[in-house]
Amino acid sequence: MSGKTIIEMLNYDKNDKRHRFARRAIIAAASLVVFVLLWWNLSLLLANPAIPTPQKTWSALTYLFAHGDSVSGVTMWSHISISLRRFVYGLLLAMAVAVPLGLFLGYSETLREFTMPTLEILRPIAPIAWAPIFIFTTGYVWGPILVVFVGIFFPMLTNTMFGVKKIDPNWIDAAKTMGATRVQVFTKVMFPAAVPYVMNGLRVGMGIGWMCIVASELYASFGGGIGFFVSIMAQMGYWDYVFAGIAVIAVLGLLTITVSDYVHKFIVRRMGME
Amino acid sequence: MTGIKKTQAKDRLRDALGGKQRQTLSGDIKIENLRKVYRTDESETVALEDFSLEIKKGELITIVGPSGCGKTTILKLIAGLVEPTSGTVTIGGEVCEGPGPDRGMVFQDFALFPWRSVRKNVEFGLEIAGVPKEERRERAQRYIEIVGLEKFADARVHELSGGMKQRVGIARALVNRPDIILMDEPFGALDAQTRNIMQGSLLRILEKTDQTILFVTHSVDEAVYLSDRIVVLTKRPARIKEIVEIDLPRPRDRASVEFTSIRKRILEELEKENVME
Ligand SMILES: Nc1ncnc2c1ncn2[C@@H]1O[C@H](COP(=O)(O)OP(=O)(O)OP(=O)(O)O)[C@@H](O)[C@H]1O
Ligand SMILES: [Mg+2]
Repeated sequence: MSGKTIIEMLNYDKNDKRHRFARRAIIAAASLVVFVLLWWNLSLLLANPAIPTPQKTWSALTYLFAHGDSVSGVTMWSHISISLRRFVYGLLLAMAVAVPLGLFLGYSETLREFTMPTLEILRPIAPIAWAPIFIFTTGYVWGPILVVFVGIFFPMLTNTMFGVKKIDPNWIDAAKTMGATRVQVFTKVMFPAAVPYVMNGLRVGMGIGWMCIVASELYASFGGGIGFFVSIMAQMGYWDYVFAGIAVIAVLGLLTITVSDYVHKFIVRRMGME
Repeated sequence: MTGIKKTQAKDRLRDALGGKQRQTLSGDIKIENLRKVYRTDESETVALEDFSLEIKKGELITIVGPSGCGKTTILKLIAGLVEPTSGTVTIGGEVCEGPGPDRGMVFQDFALFPWRSVRKNVEFGLEIAGVPKEERRERAQRYIEIVGLEKFADARVHELSGGMKQRVGIARALVNRPDIILMDEPFGALDAQTRNIMQGSLLRILEKTDQTILFVTHSVDEAVYLSDRIVVLTKRPARIKEIVEIDLPRPRDRASVEFTSIRKRILEELEKENVME
């Protein structure tokens, strides 16, 4: 009987929004169930302490949120807040530098020709490769922030430059015939025109930035954060805690991407520039 | 001493920023031997050749010519958006170098800012000029009403039809009351009825001011209805084929014998230009 309803659901009405949503929800749930089952079987099969079962991970999770662990002495909440705060600082820093720079580089060919060779050399370096250097030179607070900065900076920059390239030259001409100075052309035409592209850069950058924050915290030997937590717990062999940390990373990563997708869509629509 | 230095530095800064906002004293335009060649890597296009014209303040001149002959180029040269290859444009006694708010332009493809509402588009020039918010709103509202878009004042550009966008472009240029208004086929996207209404409003607005108008159109009927003089262009590169003075009293009767005979003559001239070789 329930088999029948599932088949009915899959045989859905494409024009009905509720049907589409229900269908996607069912498929997503099925995917998750299959994933957990695979994980469970694998952990039983391997019987390796480094791969705890889903149940053990779950109880570790609830314990960590409620009481924290004895090693770092704080709850999962405070690790999350430390990581998120660093993430946001790195993100803001990257926006503050990449957006104006992207506008300038998109605008001035000379500046572009001057800057691009250097940037092209730096771009392929995995941001995490900077972590030891940044942590050594700026410490456990700023180090991870700077890694996030590097990770978000490049997608943000390229997207902003692309946005400038897409500007209708007539917009600039129109502004000039209304007396706009070069600065005003910049602030009142080029910047708003590039915003949807900046937002796209943000969307891409946030995914990368989240990977960067966790990865760079793995290098840190104190200072908290989810990456730090995972690395410490692994060193001590508390594998269920490690898995709990990874699950938190996954959920927060998904959340970041969902939020940035939403913000991107909202702003582009708000600006009438779909 | 430092005061002088400071102002010099300020001037230099302003020039460097391209803010040549000198206001001309009058709307006279003198165009001498203008020539424009567009060069790209692969090709050279002569868009304008041997073009001279004097326009008096307050005149309404229309430009008609075959499509692609160089009409937009003429307007952009006067606006200062395009550099002449040779020749000069003199505005109110000063050689034109670069754009300024004394010459407003209505763009053929509207060039509206999609991130701004209709109202905010119309307010753009006033914002640039530093007009206070209240006054800005009032003045913009007047012109939005003139072009008949009061119901759409808070709409986004992408919600408008082509004809509505065009009217926003017109309001956005007129609201700044420039000495010279360059209009590039401003009524081209309008239906016949709205077009006639807009022609009437334009003439009514101009009655009260002494703005100089350069108006590009594909419609000879529109040209005869509006103009003091019609400049008929050859096919590319555009040269002046003929200048027709229209001294019929306004409002003009499109059905009158004089009107139709002028229109017929210009149409014949244009047809000769459009014949394929
Ligand atoms: N920026 C440019 N670079 C190269 N060629 C150009 C440029 N702008 C215009 N042209 C060319 O110059 C010629 C005249 O163009 P222009 O736009 O002035 O004509 P037009 O009379 O306004 O045309 P239409 O009737 O289509 O509005 C055309 O052949 C066009 O391709
Ligand atoms: Mg044109």
